[in-house]
Amino acid sequence: MTAVVFEKATRRFPGQDRPAVDALDLHIDDGEFLVLVGPSGCGKSTTLRMLAGLEDVDDGRILIGDRDVTRRPPKERDIAMVFQNYALYPHMTVAENMGFALRIAGTRKAEIRRRVAEAAEILGLTDYLDRKPKALSGGQRQRVAMGRAIVRSPQVFLMDEPLSNLDAKLRVQTRTQIAALQRRLGTTTVYVTHDQVEAMTMGDRVAVLKDGVLQQVASPRELYDRPVNLFVAGFMGSPAMNLLDLPLVDGGVRFGSTVLPVPREVRDAAPGPTVVVGLRPENLAVGGEGMAVRVDVVEELGSDAFVYGRADGIDEPLVARDDGRRPPAKGARVRLRVLDADAVHHFDPVSGRRLGR
Amino acid sequence: MRTSTRASGASPLMYVTLTLVVLLSIAPLYFMLVMASRANSEILSVPPPLLPGDQLAGNIERVFANEDVQFGRALLNTLLVASVATVAVVLTSALAGFAFAKLRFRGRHGLLVFVVATMMVPVQLGLIPLYMLMTEVGLAGGLASVTLPFLVSGFGVFFMRQYASQAIPDELIEAARVDGASTVRIFWSVVLPALRPAAAVLGLLTFMERWNDFLWPYISLDFNHPTVQVALSRLSGGYYTDQALVMAGTLMGTLPLVVVFILFGRQIVGGIMEGGVKS
Repeated sequence: MTAVVFEKATRRFPGQDRPAVDALDLHIDDGEFLVLVGPSGCGKSTTLRMLAGLEDVDDGRILIGDRDVTRRPPKERDIAMVFQNYALYPHMTVAENMGFALRIAGTRKAEIRRRVAEAAEILGLTDYLDRKPKALSGGQRQRVAMGRAIVRSPQVFLMDEPLSNLDAKLRVQTRTQIAALQRRLGTTTVYVTHDQVEAMTMGDRVAVLKDGVLQQVASPRELYDRPVNLFVAGFMGSPAMNLLDLPLVDGGVRFGSTVLPVPREVRDAAPGPTVVVGLRPENLAVGGEGMAVRVDVVEELGSDAFVYGRADGIDEPLVARDDGRRPPAKGARVRLRVLDADAVHHFDPVSGRRLGR
Repeated sequence: MRTSTRASGASPLMYVTLTLVVLLSIAPLYFMLVMASRANSEILSVPPPLLPGDQLAGNIERVFANEDVQFGRALLNTLLVASVATVAVVLTSALAGFAFAKLRFRGRHGLLVFVVATMMVPVQLGLIPLYMLMTEVGLAGGLASVTLPFLVSGFGVFFMRQYASQAIPDELIEAARVDGASTVRIFWSVVLPALRPAAAVLGLLTFMERWNDFLWPYISLDFNHPTVQVALSRLSGGYYTDQALVMAGTLMGTLPLVVVFILFGRQIVGGIMEGGVKS
């Protein structure tokens, strides 16, 4: 059983006012694939490096399995890490790169050869074992970096944006391969990315960080359907959720020519005369009664089209998903209607917290 | 505007210039060979000879036969002194350079400034204190006195630090740490191989510097422990100088350097770090 636990783990960099990671509490289950996601500078990489032992922990504790590793060096943590730039040893062959950790651990040569061959087989690197990294393509180097990690059968895999140096198509392929490989090996994995699509598609659970503070940790579905605050609501999902600060009126909030019903508990919890209403693009459709907008841009994706429009008196553009076959033309005036009033999110305009269930 | 200089190759003018530079560089070496292979009287004739003669073997024989000069011993002495210093300088500079470039420790900055400051003291200024020091510890006169002071080099440390900080990405060291390597192991298995091009350059420079060093060995060494440069100076002593003899000695004193240059030069391969990390 290898659960990973962060207990109020904090990292302060000298000369900076606020901690890079602030009292992080996180429990990662045995065999779980947890994704740390957030904008750059949110502390996600620092969190991973704290777990790896490459960064000091100023306060709090980190446990791997039942062992407190807070003050232990990396080599005593039984972890393997995949770096963003792969960090392959340039003067060693693929086989030597993959076997390096085992060699240091004093594993017998025959055993190293067997395990390297096994990992190479899994990753399709068998033909490249005698090559140096510089003779490999980007995708192959990425797989060698993965191989170096799995050869060791560590207790935890740590991955720091391992796909960000690949081109778009390869990234999507490798994404599924990594997720499948992790399920097959069943090794607890912590994966850092700034790409919310990666986070949604790969993780059993996703932890969203901002400014060193954990915002929410939940399954991708839960994050998407019930974001706990404005930041998570705006960060997860592409295009982003429409967030509109709308006045409360009798029976709900005014949304153009209609009134959207607001649940009782939201109305009771609202601190002022307005609430922030969150509408996913797929919950808005062109036509019917609703907000009048002027179409700025239409993004046609084939199956769908995203319609970006501006409403009078509202600064941010609204995004609606529409049928890809016959979207409105640029410059047209249309109304956007809400499809499912139950799927509308509400947030406190001051604190940004979610209101209601 | 010409943007494809590299693709289109060098111009004829460039070739002419380069050829001239090559000829000018080779000329002194060539005339060294010419003079070393002639009798002294031929060298002094007008016009001077332009082609090598047939006295080379005889002249070299005379150089080695001269008991005041001890040329053979001087060659071996210098080889020993320069080799020890080269290995030591490369090793200590790589170690210290790695530490300064990649390890975090208290006083790192101050120590580096101190190391760089040692480069600012001229050799001549250190001669007298160094001589007194060597006499004090009883090493004056022997080969140790021209070896020990040069086992560590401020320039070497600085040079390796600069190379290590730009050529070795932090992730490479972190990857080795996560793989379970100790700092010493990281140095041997990851850092030193990556420093090889710089180590070759530094080794070459150090070997040449030690081989060609004259002033300090001349002052410090006694009659029975000459180095090559000291021995050469003895060749030209006396009332009259046998230029053929001096040039034959100089030729013998230069050849080992050329050999070393060829051996080390092969190690200076660019692009050894290529492919390790994607930047």
